[in-house]
Amino acid sequence: MIAPDDGAAPAEAARAPRSTGAGFGRVLVTVYGVLAFAALGRSGYEFMVKFTDAPVAYSLSGAAALVYVLATFALALGAHPLWRRLAWIAVGVEAVGVLVVGSASLANPDVFGESTVWSLFGQGYGYVPLVLPFVGLWWLWRTRGPAAHGKEPAV
Amino acid sequence: MLLPLLVLLIALCVALGGWAAWFVVRDRAVILNQLWGGAVVEGVLIAQAITAAIRGATHEPPSDPLLFWGYMATALIILPIAAAWAFAERTRWSSVVLLVAALTVAFLDYRLWQIWTAA
Repeated sequence: MIAPDDGAAPAEAARAPRSTGAGFGRVLVTVYGVLAFAALGRSGYEFMVKFTDAPVAYSLSGAAALVYVLATFALALGAHPLWRRLAWIAVGVEAVGVLVVGSASLANPDVFGESTVWSLFGQGYGYVPLVLPFVGLWWLWRTRGPAAHGKEPAV
Repeated sequence: MLLPLLVLLIALCVALGGWAAWFVVRDRAVILNQLWGGAVVEGVLIAQAITAAIRGATHEPPSDPLLFWGYMATALIILPIAAAWAFAERTRWSSVVLLVAALTVAFLDYRLWQIWTAA
């Protein structure tokens, strides 16, 4: 199953599920990759150096990092339905995670003991963690095919 | 870390990013000359890593060596990935990737400076 390699062709979008890793998807995968790398680095550092200071916060950052890594690979390999499903789950978890953790940290700054990737809606990362999952969900929706939903898209 | 190298690197990143942004507007894919530009940025970054390693060993190490070298590794890896993308994606989106990559490297270098100079 080869998807057309042009992410900017709206007219052909309806035919088959397109690869989530081509066209604009490559930008998405790049940003996801950078964030995954940053979160993984931060988390690895926290686990090695100061995990006992705030186990909840650092575990949360670790979980966020794993979700970003998963989302990066799932989006890059999104041509396959299984990867696409995994991408939906990973990006969905992210969207919920950043909203829940962001709200919780806003309501009570000390709730997790230390700041996490998602604290204050990802302020420490220029709010990229807040925007990215919704762009990701839009992109997954945008590149879906009729097969994924069992009916003709309303485009 | 040397301040002149920081200024040079950020200036080069902004120039490369501007070049890429121009290509985004013109709906063009990344060209080889831009990748040579990226190679120059990468070269300055490597020079920075070497000088930081030497200064860290002979004078004062960075305030938080693990954090510093983690950021350095991230900064070093980004442009090669953008270059690989440029070969794989022959549409304007490769120019967007190069733009994002250039800005990320500039930002990471600024963070490196912050970590280096932190008391």
